[in-house]
Amino acid sequence: MTFKPVPAAVTPDNSMGDAFITTRVDAVINWGRRNSLWPFPFGTACCAIEFMGVVSSMFDISRFGAELVRFSPRQADLIIIAGTVTYKQAPVLRRIYEQMCEPKWVISAGACATSGGFYDCYCTVPGIDEIIPVDIYIAGCPPRPEAFLEAIVQLQNKIERENRVEQKAVGA
Amino acid sequence: MTSVGGVPYHSSKNDIVDTAKPWMREAMKPGLTDEQLVSALQLFGLRRDTKDRWNLTLVLAAGDARSKLRDLVSFLRDDQSLRMNTLLDISAIDYLSYPNHRGPRFALVYLFKSLEFRHRVMIKVEVEEDDARLPSIHDLYRIADWTEREVWDQMGIVFTGHPNLKRILNHHEFVGHPLRKDYPCQKRQKLSINDPMVDQLEARLRELGYTVVESGEVHLGKPIAAKHQSAAEQGQVDRPRAKSEGAIGAGGL
Amino acid sequence: MKVLTRANEPQDLMTVNIGPSHPATHGTLRIFAALDGETIEAAACEMGYLHRGFEKMVEQGTYTMVLPYTDRLNYCSAMINNIGFCKAVEKMFNVTVPERCITLRVVLMELSRIIDHMVCVCTNLVDLGALTNFWYFFNTREEVYKIWEKLCGQRLTNTVTRIGGMYRDAYVGFEDDVRKVLTRIEASVAEVRGLVEHNKIFIDRTKDVCVVSAAEAISYGWTGPCLRASGVDRDLRKDEPYYGYETYQFDTVVGTTGDTFDRIMIRMYEILESVSICRQGLDRLKPGPVNTADARLSLPDRDHVYHDMEALINSFKLIYEGVRPPPGECYDAVEAANGELGFHIVSDGGTNPYRIKVRPPCFTQYAAFGGMLEGEMLADAAATLGSINIIAGELDR
Repeated sequence: MTFKPVPAAVTPDNSMGDAFITTRVDAVINWGRRNSLWPFPFGTACCAIEFMGVVSSMFDISRFGAELVRFSPRQADLIIIAGTVTYKQAPVLRRIYEQMCEPKWVISAGACATSGGFYDCYCTVPGIDEIIPVDIYIAGCPPRPEAFLEAIVQLQNKIERENRVEQKAVGA
Repeated sequence: MTSVGGVPYHSSKNDIVDTAKPWMREAMKPGLTDEQLVSALQLFGLRRDTKDRWNLTLVLAAGDARSKLRDLVSFLRDDQSLRMNTLLDISAIDYLSYPNHRGPRFALVYLFKSLEFRHRVMIKVEVEEDDARLPSIHDLYRIADWTEREVWDQMGIVFTGHPNLKRILNHHEFVGHPLRKDYPCQKRQKLSINDPMVDQLEARLRELGYTVVESGEVHLGKPIAAKHQSAAEQGQVDRPRAKSEGAIGAGGL
Repeated sequence: MKVLTRANEPQDLMTVNIGPSHPATHGTLRIFAALDGETIEAAACEMGYLHRGFEKMVEQGTYTMVLPYTDRLNYCSAMINNIGFCKAVEKMFNVTVPERCITLRVVLMELSRIIDHMVCVCTNLVDLGALTNFWYFFNTREEVYKIWEKLCGQRLTNTVTRIGGMYRDAYVGFEDDVRKVLTRIEASVAEVRGLVEHNKIFIDRTKDVCVVSAAEAISYGWTGPCLRASGVDRDLRKDEPYYGYETYQFDTVVGTTGDTFDRIMIRMYEILESVSICRQGLDRLKPGPVNTADARLSLPDRDHVYHDMEALINSFKLIYEGVRPPPGECYDAVEAANGELGFHIVSDGGTNPYRIKVRPPCFTQYAAFGGMLEGEMLADAAATLGSINIIAGELDR
C-alpha cells in the first residue's frame, strides 16, 4: 500500500499540506479488509487446540488484526477449519460457509482439513475443498502456531492483490 | 417406547439426595481370585477363554447367549460377593479373517469391573452371523444404551428391546457396518443432510410424560452435493460471474 | 413445538439446536434441546461428528503405526494415550520396561494430566465468562510445550513412547526444565484459584448445577474425576496400581455433591497432586537404559547388526514388520485425565493388529449428559459440558 503525500506544488496556498493522501480505492479497501480479519474458528480436533495457542498471548494473532474471533458466521469473514471434517460434519460446514457474508476467505488448517490427513477411511472427507473453496492451506499435524501466523500473512498478501474493479456483481 | 423390564427413565434431579454408600469412600476391598470367580459363575455354564492369557475372560456360547445373558449380567451386578457395578465397555470382534478360527463369526466381550472389590471379569458372548441378535441390558446398566448402539452401528449386531437402536458414530444415511472385516476401509459414503433429531427429542419428551401435540419446524438447509457448485451449474438465476472463477470473493452459490 | 405436560396443560416448547459447531461445545457435539423459557425440558445428544475410524485405520498398519493414531484420541494429553497403548501391548509380551522408562513415563503421564486438566478448566471458565484464566493456563501450557518439543519434537501430538520403551531418552537438562515448569504450574493454579474459588459469580453458576448422584454415575460407568466428584473415591492409580504408583505419596481428590463446582475444583486440586507425583518421580529418576532389552521389541545395537547375522535379521524384521504380539486378546487400562482409558487388543500373531477397541472415558460422561441437563437452564448446559471434559477425538475415535 502506498501513501503518497501531496506535494506542496499541487496546493499552491500550502494550506492543506500533508492532510491528504492519495491512493487507489482497491488499496484502501484491501488494507482495511486484510488488517481486520475476523476469524470464525471451525475447530473440530487437535488443530483447534493449536489454534487456541495461536490466539493466546504467546503467539498472539491479534498482532495481525485477527483477534476478534466471532463464533457466528454472520459476523466473521475468515473461516479457519482446524481439524478433521467427517462426512457427518460436512453439511454443517457447508451451511456455515453459506451463512457467511461476502467477502469471505477460507483457511484450511492442518493435514486433516487439507487432505483428510492419515485418516484414509470411510468417514473422513479427503480435503474440505470437496465442499467449500479454500484460499490458504496449512500443512502440519498439527501445524505450529507460527504456521498459522504465516498463513494469515499469506492471506493478507492475497487480499492485497484483490481487484474490486474487475469483480462486478454484489456478492462477487 | 417402554424400556425392557419396565424401568422408567428419570432425570437425575430426582436423585439429588446423596446416594453415596460407605464403601465408596473406603479403600477397595480385596476381590475374588480368578478361580473363585469361575466357581461363582459356574451355574451359568461358562468356559474360560484360552485366547486371553492375561485377564479372566469367560465365554458364553452362542446357543446359550440369548437365554442366559440377562440373568448372568444381573447376577454379576447384584450378587453380594461380586458387585460388578461398572460395565466398562462392550468390545465387538469379527473373526471373519482370523486365522484358523472355528466357531461363530462374532464375539462381544462385555468388560465388567467392581468398584467395591478388586476384581474384574470379561464375558465373551459368541454371536452367530446369520442370527446376530442379543438381548439388550440397557436397563441394568444405563451406559449399555449407547454402548450397544455403537456395537450395532459398527458391527451390525441387533439388541432386542433396545429403545433407540440408531446410528451413533456414523451418519444416519450410512449403509453397512464399517468395522466388519468385509467392509472396505476406504469405501466412503457421503451425507446429504444432517439428521433432524426431532423424533429422538419427541421420544424423550414422551418418556418424560409429555404428549406431543404439534411438532415444530426444522430448518436444516438444503442437501449438499459433493463438489461445491456455482449457481450457474446448479441451474439457478444467472448472475454475472467474476472473470476468474473461484477467485477470492467469487464464491457463493 | 406444542406439547401437553403430565398434568395435561398445554405448553409451547422451543426447540434449540446447540452445536455441532458451537463455542461452548468444545468440539463437535450436538445437543437438541426442548426449552420452556430458559429451562431445558428434554435434551437429545448426538455425537459422531469427529468419528475418524481409529479402530478401522489401526487394522491397516503395524502396531507401531498405531501410536500416532493414539495421540489423536485425547489430544490434550497425548502422552497418556501413547503410554496406555504401549502398556497394553507390553502386557501381551509379558515384558516389563526398564526402571528409568517407568519413572519417565510416570512423570510424563502426570505432566500430561496436568495440561489436560488445565485445558478443561480454562475453557470451562471461558464459557462462564472468566477469560483471564484462559491466558494464564495457556501460557503455562506453552512452557510445558517447550519441554515436549525438546523431548520429542512435537508440541501437541507427541508419539513419545514406543512399544518396549521410549522414542528417546530424556534430554540433558530435562529434570531442571520440568522442576521449573512445576513451580510455574503451581503459581498459575494459585492465580486461577485466587480469581475463581471464592468468586460469588462462579459459585452461583456452578454450585448445585447438574448434580449427578453416585448411583447414577456408577450406572453410567463413569470413572475418573467426574466419578470422584460424585463421592466415589476410586482411582486406578490407587486401586490397581501400575508403574510403581503404590510407592508414590499422593491423595485422590473426592467431591461431596457431584455438581459442576466439584468437577471443576477437583481438577484444580488434582493438578497439585500431579505436581507432587512429578517431583517424586524426578527425585527417583536414575540413569539407565530406557528401552527393554527384549529382542522381540527393541532394535539390537548397530555394532551387533553389522557383525551378527541374527541381529541383522532381527533388526530387519523389526523395522519392516514391527512387533508381533503373540495371538490372544488382552485388555489393559491406565488412569487417564478423564478416567479409565482401556485398550482391548486382539492379536492374531501377525504384524497388524486384528482389532483394537478403545474404551474412551468421556463416552460414559457424554452418555449421561442428556439426562443431566433436564431441568437445568440453558446457561448451565454450557457450564456443565465443560466440566465433564468431553474431548471429541476420544469420544468419537
